[in-house]
Order: sequence, then C-alpha cells, then structure tokens
Amino acid sequence: MMERLDVFRALADARTDEIVVMTMTATLQWPLVSDHPLDFDFLAFGMGHASDFGMGLALARPERKVIVLKGDGGLLMSLGSLVTTGQYGPENLIVLLLENRTYEMVGGQPLPARVDFVTLANGAGIPGGGATGNGKVERIVDLGTFQSGLPRLLDEPGPHFVVLPVRNTHELPAVNHTDHSGRVRRLRDALAVVGPGPTTRE
Amino acid sequence: MIADRAVTGASARVTIDEIVRLGFTHVIAIPDSESRLLCEAAAAHEQLSYLTPCREGESIAIAAGLWVGGAKPLLVIQNTGLMEAGDALRGCGIGPRIPLQMLIGWRGYAGASEGKQPVDSAYPYTEPILDAWQIPYEHLMSNDDIGVIATMDERATRTSKPAAVISGWRFQP
Repeated sequence: MMERLDVFRALADARTDEIVVMTMTATLQWPLVSDHPLDFDFLAFGMGHASDFGMGLALARPERKVIVLKGDGGLLMSLGSLVTTGQYGPENLIVLLLENRTYEMVGGQPLPARVDFVTLANGAGIPGGGATGNGKVERIVDLGTFQSGLPRLLDEPGPHFVVLPVRNTHELPAVNHTDHSGRVRRLRDALAVVGPGPTTRE
Repeated sequence: MIADRAVTGASARVTIDEIVRLGFTHVIAIPDSESRLLCEAAAAHEQLSYLTPCREGESIAIAAGLWVGGAKPLLVIQNTGLMEAGDALRGCGIGPRIPLQMLIGWRGYAGASEGKQPVDSAYPYTEPILDAWQIPYEHLMSNDDIGVIATMDERATRTSKPAAVISGWRFQP
C-alpha cells in the first residue's frame, strides 16, 4: 500500500500539460503538490461522477491527456461509468483509482469488503475496449513501480484504469471549496475555449 | 401543464436537422421508447457523436466535461432519469453554471392527456421539478414547435445555466 501523498508527488513530477481532475480527499492533498492551470477540483460537482466528467473533457480535447484522481467509494456510486469507459473511453483518458477501502471524506466508513475493482473493470470491458480498443486495466501496489510506469501511462493510448492501493497518514487540510463557476472559467481559459461561459460567481 | 394544441409528435429527422443546424456536437442519450427514433437518427448522423452511457447522472457529468472542453452536447433523457440524476444536475449544471441542454421525454404525458388511469407518477412531477430547479423549459409537441430548441439554446448560452425542452409525444419518423 502506498502513501497517497507520495503517489501525488510522483504524478506531479511526471505531469506536464495533462488536465488533472480530482475529487473528494484528493482535492485536499493534490494542491499540496501542484498549482497548475489545468488542475480541476471536481468536489461538489456531483458525487461519483469525476471520471464521467473527465471522459467528457477527454472526448472534447483529444489532443490532451486527462488524468482523473478518484476514490473507490466514489466509483461505487457510479459503477456504470466503468461500462461506459469500456465502450466509449477515449485513448487520452487515464483514471487513477485511489483505493483506500473507505469513504474517507465523510469519516472513514468501510466499503464492502469483498469488492474487487480490477475484476469489475475487467468485466466492464475496459481491457481491449474503449473507443479504439486500447483500453487497459492494471493494479500497481508499490511506489517504485508507479513512478517507473508513469511515462508509459502518460504516453500509451488508453483508456487506462489503474487501481492504486493507498493510505493517508498526513493531516488533511480543511475543506474550503467555493466558486464553482470560477473553477469552470479557469479551466476553459487554460484550454483557450472560445465562447461564452459562466461570468458571475454563484 | 398540458399544451392546448393539436399534437402529433415531432419528427425525429426534423429535430435532428435542427440540432445539427444549431451546432450541437454530441448527443448523449439514455434511450427510451418515446425517443427511439430520435436516438436512431442521432446515431446515424455523421455530424453528431452519439453516446449512450448507463444512467442519466453519468450522462450529465459527461456532457459537463464536454462543454467545459469546448464541445456542445445535447442530453436526451426521460423525466424518470432526470429525477434520478438530481445531484449530477445540481453539481454539474446549476451550481457551476454549466449550460447543459436537455431534451426530456415526458413519460406519462400521453396517457394523462388521454384520461387514462392511474396517472403515471412520472407525469405530474416533471414540470414542478424543473420549476424548483429554476430550469426554464419549452414544449416540443409537433414540428410546429421545432423553434423551441433554438429558444433553449439561446437561453442556456445567454444565462450560462441549464435549460430544457420537454417532449410530450413519441418522436415520429
């Protein structure tokens, strides 16, 4: 099992111009290692749907990789997204499933103990699936393998679904998330999207 | 409320032509029996990308990502799915002011308008739910109403908020 912040540091070191969509407790720790205009905080945007949102981004921006940092509890809220990824997932989508076996954000309640996320992803048709038949599923359990595998993950066509068993021993920053439309505006600006968008704060 | 006019159901072909004319790039649909012909027309159209996720909340989040990335998606969902997808619509549309556009099939409308009992419980809650979420909507009941899609598009774009069209009848060829 890897320390989540170490995983994030390794990813931030390897990341260049990829979009990173994060949700739940990842939104509290990713900013400790990254301050990038293509970071997108999905917290409060719809429970369980970060990778769906990431898939939409990836479909709209095929020239750019989209990395999604989401938890296993969130995945259980939208298991159908695995099937959709197996059917339509584009080559530029990378879903990193932070497997801590708890609903950490709301108190650490345990997930159903017998669920196997690699088996679910395999059964959903991701391996050899996705829009171009390049889907891949893997489980990476140690930091060295993750670090050495990152160049491949960021380069190879996907969609990639990667299960990362993690723990967190660090104190989490407080939740302080506002200005949802501002997050949208900033990402659209960073992507140079032309056209009207949200112009006022909610 | 039930529209007081002759109703025939809009043509799927005419509706798709209007969707393409307005520049939509993706149709994201959860098929239902009323929208079957519309979905088939969308899937067959070379200028549209057509996706069928597993559930409406998923569809809404995908559409939000598409819009943030610069595409112009249209959601085709049934009122029952709209009810299921409330948190996604709140979080990916209303809150962050992402102008999601939805063509909503009004399950229960046809039976209610013909006086059938019992009334499908999906029918009476559709408009009140949209009202509660402050999502403006128009009715698409026949080809005469096809302009309501442009109205939805203009409203959503101008306000950067979700907007909808409710379709009361099964789409015709």
